[in-house]
Amino acid sequence: MSFQEKNITVTLVNFSLILGFYLIRLLQMIQNGSFNAANVFRLWAIIIVAAIVVTIAATILTHLVSAIIQAIQTQAEPVIEDIADERDKFIDLKGTKVTYFVSSIGSFLAMLTFAFGQPPLIMFTLLVFFGVVAQIVGDIARLSFYRRGF
Amino acid sequence: MSKRRINNNIRTLRFFNSEMTQQQLAEKVGVTRQTIIAMEQDKYSPSLELAFRIALAFNVPLDQVFSYELEEEVK
Repeated sequence: MSFQEKNITVTLVNFSLILGFYLIRLLQMIQNGSFNAANVFRLWAIIIVAAIVVTIAATILTHLVSAIIQAIQTQAEPVIEDIADERDKFIDLKGTKVTYFVSSIGSFLAMLTFAFGQPPLIMFTLLVFFGVVAQIVGDIARLSFYRRGF
Repeated sequence: MSKRRINNNIRTLRFFNSEMTQQQLAEKVGVTRQTIIAMEQDKYSPSLELAFRIALAFNVPLDQVFSYELEEEVK
């Protein structure tokens, strides 16, 4: 497995955890009757900050773990191949295209709920949900392109 | 419509170039070893620029490394 694949896998796991956290917190809010603008926007902020911090931390962690594993296996100074060549860039572009596609569909569905008379809070909740889902689907697509080829 | 397919002889050419390793070829043409592996397994068709760099690395014309064929007719 290349460094890029490892990095995508770690990001995929992290975003799945973020999605799980988001859904659990939403469920708790609905059950407690605290599903209001203040709480939802605070959750928005937490999710966005977590996504940024987790992505940076995941990259560093992948570097460290890869280096440690390689050093143990080869008993030599680890060399991490983290350069992105044309294939990596192409796969990244294709994955981004999938992410944007899912994100666009999600945004449309979220706005549709507003157009059909649901409160704006539902729309904003769905926007974040589809944003995270789009990232996950994009990462799955990237891994699939690495494995299956194109 | 027809399905296109690009074949390559990279594995054979490596063999006839003193068993050049995938890593050595990757370093010569400026890509990762994974990209060489993907090309040898027909999982990736390189850009024209990379194709020329590979041909130059083996010191052969482009058509000795890559060939193009129509795989099947899709109705």
